[in-house]
Amino acid sequence: MAAAAAGSLRRAGWRLWRGRAGLRCQLYPPQRALHASAVLRRASDEKKEPLASSPQQQFDSPPADPQPDHEPQGPRSSYTGQGGQESEDYESEEQLQHRILTAALEFVPEHGWTAEAIAEGAKTLGLSGAAAGMFHNDGSELILHFVSQCNTKLSDLLEQEQKQVQLGKTEKKPTDQFLRDALEARLRMLIPYIEKWPQAVSILLLPHNIPSSLNLLTSMIDDILHYAGDQSTDFNWYTRRAVLTGIYNTTELVMMQDSSPDFEETWRFLENRIADAMNMDNTAKQVQSTGQALAQGLMGAAVTITNLTGLNQRR
Amino acid sequence: MAAAGLGPARPLLARRPGALRALLGLARGLAAGPQTHFGFQNVSEEERREKIYQVFENVAEKYDVMNDSMTLGIHRVWKDILVHKMNPSPGTLLVDVAGGTGDIAFRFINYVRSVRERQLQQKLKRHQNLSWQEISKSYEEEKVKPLGDSQVVVCDINKEMLKVGKQRAQHLGYSEGLSWVLGNAEELPFDDDKFDVYTIAFGIRNVTRIDLALQEAYRVLKPGGRFLCLEFSQVSNPLLSRLYDLYSFQVIPVLGEIIAGDWKSYQYLVESIRRFPPQEELKEMIEDAGFFKVDYQNLSSGIVAIHSGFKL
Repeated sequence: MAAAAAGSLRRAGWRLWRGRAGLRCQLYPPQRALHASAVLRRASDEKKEPLASSPQQQFDSPPADPQPDHEPQGPRSSYTGQGGQESEDYESEEQLQHRILTAALEFVPEHGWTAEAIAEGAKTLGLSGAAAGMFHNDGSELILHFVSQCNTKLSDLLEQEQKQVQLGKTEKKPTDQFLRDALEARLRMLIPYIEKWPQAVSILLLPHNIPSSLNLLTSMIDDILHYAGDQSTDFNWYTRRAVLTGIYNTTELVMMQDSSPDFEETWRFLENRIADAMNMDNTAKQVQSTGQALAQGLMGAAVTITNLTGLNQRR
Repeated sequence: MAAAGLGPARPLLARRPGALRALLGLARGLAAGPQTHFGFQNVSEEERREKIYQVFENVAEKYDVMNDSMTLGIHRVWKDILVHKMNPSPGTLLVDVAGGTGDIAFRFINYVRSVRERQLQQKLKRHQNLSWQEISKSYEEEKVKPLGDSQVVVCDINKEMLKVGKQRAQHLGYSEGLSWVLGNAEELPFDDDKFDVYTIAFGIRNVTRIDLALQEAYRVLKPGGRFLCLEFSQVSNPLLSRLYDLYSFQVIPVLGEIIAGDWKSYQYLVESIRRFPPQEELKEMIEDAGFFKVDYQNLSSGIVAIHSGFKL
């Protein structure tokens, strides 16, 4: 009980320390004079604040919208209060960008990870395709968004599982089983996009993308090992993460050229690699003890030889 | 030029002792609009519009030649970068305001055509075993819709510039997806929410009320639409700035006299560049009009800047 409480406290502290990306979304937009926004939608339509200047009048009763879109009808104006900060009812540009990227994902199998897919995504939200200009031309933001979405889904999944274990509903899995299931779940999220995934990997390896993609990769591996119950505080922390990253990357590569039904070959490969990793731990200990034994044996042999040849005797 | 005609008339009126005359002059000044700048002179808004109209009427024929000689051909690179930044896909509707001789419009058409060709090629590649019927259908599609429904509307306030533009289009063989409209950037003759992209290349400097032009840009763009402005801006590097000033004031009007026979217009040109707001100020003006994610990119270390904003 106390251990569980301590564990959850530690997790909370760990998350805070890591400064997760969620904080980034809460940046306040810069000071802006009163104006109307055509697209950024209100989170709640209840509060209706008075509109001052005339340009907003034209948006009070929006012209007949030819495209049926998911946004709430009625006045869609945003404005800033006295302090100059945007009213918290409205979504920020970042949230709109997230929405566009999420909508763009369904066009990826057809167009690949490109600005065209983003333009199609924007069109489904009722925006002009030119909104894709907000993003980099090579589609990197789309891929990074997808990867971070997958990582979040994985975290949620692992947290759910842990809750189940804590509530006593399910048994705690042995480490290798846990790792295998976590990696399999994460890799399965790639299946709908597996045809265009090689393109995505190559874009993620571009120099200007490496910091972000590396960041996402390491935080995902960290997540998995954390939920696996890794509490090492010595150099093992690094070795374990490096090993797991290696396993993940190689399995991903195998998956990209796997043509077996439901990727059986990939899961078998994963199983073997994890078994190897587990063995490696034992092997390391064995090597150490063997090394010690070997050293002692050599010393003994040396002493024996010196005794035999009479070099040891003092005359 | 009419400027010379108006010049002596005004001080003459001011010197007359009659209060009535002075009042009339004041009234006329007020009717013509608040004071603004024309190059380094101070004139009323109405006067400014007239003068600028005449400048472009005079330079229209030699506009492209002068552009090449003044910028040593680099203006082509700037315009290419603008269209590349726009990255239009087939089906985009572009309005090129103050588009005059059609440089941006022609580049847009070329870009969209090549994107469309690539799209069709990729479609063919993906369907490996097509029947001859399907292959011929796709070639037909390429011939019938080479631009994939993209359209560009060139809007300019000056009839002479539009005339030159139409001649160029005919000469270069552009006919499809192109239309020419006479209109004022401060009051565009288009409906709301019509265009995907609005560009104004080297034109916003000549608009008398920039805020009105920006508001019009906001109005005619679809939600999600993009505003792009290519314009001369302030150079930050002091050494380059000195060289640039030297070149602008000593060389360009001379070139204007030699090539186009018109010193004053090109004097106006370089003066108007100096009077135009710098990058940050223009960015704020664009934000005031309601655009989001406003950003600018300096080209040639600030000689030219591309401002971009989205109607969100």
